[in-house]
Amino acid sequence: MGPSIAMISDFFHPVVGGVENHIYMLSAELLRRGYKVIVITHSHPPDRVGIRWLSPGIKVYHIPFVTIASSATLPEFFTFLPYFRNIILREHIQLIHAHGGLSSLGHEGILHAHLLGVRTVFTDHSLFGFDDAASILTNKLLAATLAHVDAAICVSHTGRENTVLRSNIRPSLVHVIPNALVVDQFKPHQPAKPVSETITVIVISRLAYRKGIDLLVATAPKICAKFPNVKFIIGGDGPKLIDLLQMRERNLLQDRIELRGPMKHSEVNDLLNEGTIFLNTSLTESFGIAIVEAACAGLYVVSTKVGGVPEVLPNDMISFALPEEDDVVRAMAEAIELVSEGRHDPQRAHSRIRNFYNWGLVAKRTEKVYDFAMNSEPTELPERIRKTLALGPFVGPIYLIMLVVDIFFFRVLEWASPREDIDYVHRDWSFDNFVQFAGQHTKKSEKSIENSEFSSVAVGSEE
Amino acid sequence: MSTETWERVLWKQQPFPDNYIPDSFLSALKKNANFRPYSYWPLSLASCAVTQHISILFIFLVTFVHIYDASWDPRILVWLSIGMFIVGYLVWEILEIYIFGTRLGDFTSLANALKSSVLVFLSLLALSPVLRTLTASTSSDSIWALTSCLLGLNVLLGDYTPPRDPKRIRERLTSVLSMNAAMSGSVVLASRLQDDISVFALMLFSIQMFALFPILRTRILLTPPATRILLTITLTGLSVYLTCKVSTIVTCILICILVFVTFAAPAMLVWSQKYKNELRGPWDVAVPQVR
Repeated sequence: MGPSIAMISDFFHPVVGGVENHIYMLSAELLRRGYKVIVITHSHPPDRVGIRWLSPGIKVYHIPFVTIASSATLPEFFTFLPYFRNIILREHIQLIHAHGGLSSLGHEGILHAHLLGVRTVFTDHSLFGFDDAASILTNKLLAATLAHVDAAICVSHTGRENTVLRSNIRPSLVHVIPNALVVDQFKPHQPAKPVSETITVIVISRLAYRKGIDLLVATAPKICAKFPNVKFIIGGDGPKLIDLLQMRERNLLQDRIELRGPMKHSEVNDLLNEGTIFLNTSLTESFGIAIVEAACAGLYVVSTKVGGVPEVLPNDMISFALPEEDDVVRAMAEAIELVSEGRHDPQRAHSRIRNFYNWGLVAKRTEKVYDFAMNSEPTELPERIRKTLALGPFVGPIYLIMLVVDIFFFRVLEWASPREDIDYVHRDWSFDNFVQFAGQHTKKSEKSIENSEFSSVAVGSEE
Repeated sequence: MSTETWERVLWKQQPFPDNYIPDSFLSALKKNANFRPYSYWPLSLASCAVTQHISILFIFLVTFVHIYDASWDPRILVWLSIGMFIVGYLVWEILEIYIFGTRLGDFTSLANALKSSVLVFLSLLALSPVLRTLTASTSSDSIWALTSCLLGLNVLLGDYTPPRDPKRIRERLTSVLSMNAAMSGSVVLASRLQDDISVFALMLFSIQMFALFPILRTRILLTPPATRILLTITLTGLSVYLTCKVSTIVTCILICILVFVTFAAPAMLVWSQKYKNELRGPWDVAVPQVR
């Protein structure tokens, strides 16, 4: 039995997205491996507030914080501490795992953790540059947080290099653990489609600049002109939708380019099954889960060679293009030729992906990082102060003040709300216990129905 | 198993720990890839545009002081402005021939220029009584403060960049905000003057200085360095000479500013380049190349 873990992030269910899904799947897998896992995130008024349970037994705390943009809360630095202390104590948490470089809740959790002797792990899911104002600010925030972290996880080797550069963290603390997918959700078309004349190219992406939709707009008409048997189906929504519509109108390609609009995650596999080639034109991508999903559904992948994309698939399952109009056309031509000659076997691709990526493996590797964090030497206060001051002549003192104020604030909380007054969780939810109790109950009620005041006591120990 | 080499892939289970640091770690990092270091003298030469602008600003201020205490006759200033306009127009045309190689004798543009200048001249004349009483209810102190802010804004926002493509700048106005700030500053200054002719003279002069000269300057920036240095020396000399007759302290400040802008500021920029640390790598957002 490993440590009790709290996942902390601004990004969690009911919002849908890569980080959200990662936290959920990892938590579920860790629960299966016998860990205790809770999730702390912000609330979604009016109805998703307080404590919620998600199948298969993930307890979610929704902290009443206001979000500013894209589901991120304001970096407040102190306001989380009362909630944090209470939850960590009552749930007997020994390790917190924060997710997302832009999640201020996660950052704050890491900054407070040392007060309660809790160890910290941080997962960075995205890539950032160094040359715009937003990046400079968020990189400084990240550096300040990661100075206090016991271990970090990145989803690709490129992401790791990026995180190390951005935050000045010791590279040996940073682990690379890729994302994974539920392989059974992405199956090739059954029965296997015969090699047909028409080749359908699938694009599923948020239609935004960073996803390289400009490249798609430039190359789609050229590919259509060059290969009369190629058809596009584009799924997704976003600000660049209008550009795609205009391109289709201008080139009279209404019958060759189909726009499906926004789609649910459950519809993705059906759409993927309609095609044979998946095109990804992203300009930046830390992992590129969409590529793996498409490959898993038996599609041949064409992608721009950016970020962590070159790392995710073996070279015979993917063709790379530079983010240039002509090169995308070239790579597409290569892929169309390969697919029309029947050299790509969807079933084989699917079974290969099954061996590459699964959440069980991710959880097993994450477990090792938890052990690494738990066994590392805790940073003492003088060392913390030294690290904080090393952040920079301007940020260092600011963070030092916050560190000191935080300690005093913690003392005040210890006095104002003593530990013995907290409602502790004594027994955790366990599916086996539930089955056992339910079984007993059924047997008893069979024996004597009048003895039915024995209800489902102590199924969990929840308030 | 142990002889296996590390690969930069995620799909393979490798016999290395997850925090293994390969030799190739950060090998894709490029530092200062697009970095072109500046050298001192070209920077100093480029800062001449700023120096010229500051000199012009002080010449304008001295002119205002003289008109304000009635030591200069505003009518002379009007004639001076007209003379400057004609000289400026000639220089403009000469540079047009020199840079673009166009033929002289295009009379439609001359007629147009004449028409619009007469229009501006007359409308300014008509407006000067209004401008004179514009801020009658405001105290002079507020006006001085307001003018300093506006003229400071003008210097800060000015467009001093040499045009990259000489053909493209022909019709472009220099930084619009900067010019607007200067014109507003001149209007409130002019509203402090006693009679209509003074207001008119000052406004006419400020149009020459702040609206027309910056346009001419972008073209002067295309001439050989010798011309630009000569022009800069003339203007700075004139401004220092005129200012020292009004106030010694202001002259000192002016000289300090001019030396700082022309010589010290470029040196600081050259010095600070050693801190330049531009990081590029595969994590950067790619720039799509679309024709």
